[in-house]
Amino acid sequence: MSPEDNSVRTLSCPACGGTIAMRAAGYTVTLACEYCGTLIDATDPDARIITRYHETQASLAIPLGTRGTLRGVEWEAIGWLQRSDGWAIWEEYLLFNPYAGYRWLIAQNGQWTLGMMLTAAPQRDGSDMIVAGRRFSPFYSGNTARVTRVAGEFYWRVKVGEQVRASDYVRPGFMLSLEQDEQEKSWTIGEWLAPREIRAAFDVAPPPMWMPGMTPLAHQPSPYARRIKGWWPIAALSFLALLLLLTLFGRAMQPQTFAVTAVPDGPAVSQTFGPIVLPLGRQAMTVEATTPGVEQGWVDVDVAFVDRKTQDSYDAYALNEHYSGRDSDGYWSEGSRSQTLKVASLPAGTYDLVVDVQAHHWGGAVSSVWDQSTESEKSPVEVVLTVARGARFASNFWLAVLMILIPPLLMLLLHILFENARMAQKDGSPADADDWLQGMQSP
Amino acid sequence: MQTVACPTCGAEVTFRSPALPVRVCDYCRTLVIRDSRGASKMGEAAVLPFDISPIQIGTQGHCFDQSFTIIGRVRWAWDDGAWNEWLMLLADGTHGWLGEAMGQFMVLREVELSGSLAQVIRRLMNDTPVQPGESGNIAGHSYEVADIRTVRCIGCEGELPFTAPIGWEAVSVDFRNRDGRCASFQKDRLGPTLYVGHYVTLASLQPRNLRLLPGWSLPADVA
Repeated sequence: MSPEDNSVRTLSCPACGGTIAMRAAGYTVTLACEYCGTLIDATDPDARIITRYHETQASLAIPLGTRGTLRGVEWEAIGWLQRSDGWAIWEEYLLFNPYAGYRWLIAQNGQWTLGMMLTAAPQRDGSDMIVAGRRFSPFYSGNTARVTRVAGEFYWRVKVGEQVRASDYVRPGFMLSLEQDEQEKSWTIGEWLAPREIRAAFDVAPPPMWMPGMTPLAHQPSPYARRIKGWWPIAALSFLALLLLLTLFGRAMQPQTFAVTAVPDGPAVSQTFGPIVLPLGRQAMTVEATTPGVEQGWVDVDVAFVDRKTQDSYDAYALNEHYSGRDSDGYWSEGSRSQTLKVASLPAGTYDLVVDVQAHHWGGAVSSVWDQSTESEKSPVEVVLTVARGARFASNFWLAVLMILIPPLLMLLLHILFENARMAQKDGSPADADDWLQGMQSP
Repeated sequence: MQTVACPTCGAEVTFRSPALPVRVCDYCRTLVIRDSRGASKMGEAAVLPFDISPIQIGTQGHCFDQSFTIIGRVRWAWDDGAWNEWLMLLADGTHGWLGEAMGQFMVLREVELSGSLAQVIRRLMNDTPVQPGESGNIAGHSYEVADIRTVRCIGCEGELPFTAPIGWEAVSVDFRNRDGRCASFQKDRLGPTLYVGHYVTLASLQPRNLRLLPGWSLPADVA
């Protein structure tokens, strides 16, 4: 194979003899043998050993040489670093494309971030930093990041133990990092990658779903923020649909009024009214039973909608009563002369309304006051029945509203838990409502 | 365009730029210098080591508000790496440099070292040591010293504004500013030179005739 047929150069590791690839010839200055970890000077034609190691091969989530397409560019993983700041350990893959340069793929806690080095410094605004109109707030500062393991090739003289001072600024979904040593300052902007995106690119294990108790990345966007926002249109639509249903089917239409008269303690009165036509199926009916004249007694009202065709019966029952008197505290009264009955889900059809009424006079304990008025109380009691199609089941309505609201409220709670866990790592004050709101911002 | 015969091998050596005096013979790597009488030989250029730069002689594009063609290259190395400086022949007949290091690109043009110069530049001209982080005003913008290196030429090709013999050493100082501008000061056996420019992306150059690299496809934004 002539040199021009292949972009990859291979050489033998001067320490272990393993065949190692050089994929960014001309850029690469240090090669770390992926078998034994020995550092090799790639600018030296004799592949001089810089530092000899005898490490076992690290098993990498993305084996070096793997290619994947992220944001429309094909990248090859050519280098790998493990770094630590004493608290956290993370891995950084160096990605290369000869036409697009270098990127970083940073893995921590199973989450992935795509990093790009900036060629211009961010603008400072108070304690915040601004890059291309995007504001970043300070998160960590003054940490020392140390290289703990290396494999593959790098465009600088990487070595184990190499340290930089790091400060991080975040906004949901993004992290801006400053790394500096005595020689130089470099700014890198990192973008959190959605599980689907990183899996499609490099076929890595999907990051774990965040659960209360887990520590999110400093810049990891709340998985609930998007869901809450996604829920509002659904909630709004459901609410509108609910209102529509309520007005279409719940509206009381064409009330019909019937009257029955019964004598207290007299015989039960039974009367049939109709027809009542229900053109639409599964309708609710409202029957308002009013007994304006009942006094010192009660009226049992049984109503039944009887389908003329099938003789199916849909029943409801009301008890109207009214008592009053005068005692040492003055005038008193109790009971209700009116009740609203709801009969749910009547099939379409033609119905008769069968009404059974029995009026009673309260005759248990006889008092002088009542004895005097006995005659008027024994006069016939009129029962007025107002029948209307449809019924507003207010309790059902509120139940539905609650059901619509439960998921977003639950997600809001999870969002607050997530943001608190994320902000708990921040230098300085703990999370407050302001941080929860900031966490709702779109990446 | 002017064509002369290589003083060593006799092959045709073509100068595309009207102004540049030096051309590396494509066949025998002789450094050919042209003058009023014809062409003479000025040593031999080193063989360029293999690299996978996406730029090649003949790559065309657009920057400094005009089109350019790449006509030459110098490769520089220092203790911890190497980079390419591609010579751009601009449409107006002048030239500029397309620097390529660590996967990043910058375009630079020479500015005159005259008039009122920043103190840091004057000290560099006097070989007084400077430190990274020192700042100074260059061509109306504020810059910081990013790094200072002793570099050596490890190879060249095509047309050049100077002879670049093997092992030629220079002091190179890179300046950066916060808007993405950059400047480069260089001092060698020929004296000090200063270049200013800015970082670019390959796509922003609207490049044509990029080098095709086996195993890689041209990204959509430069294809």
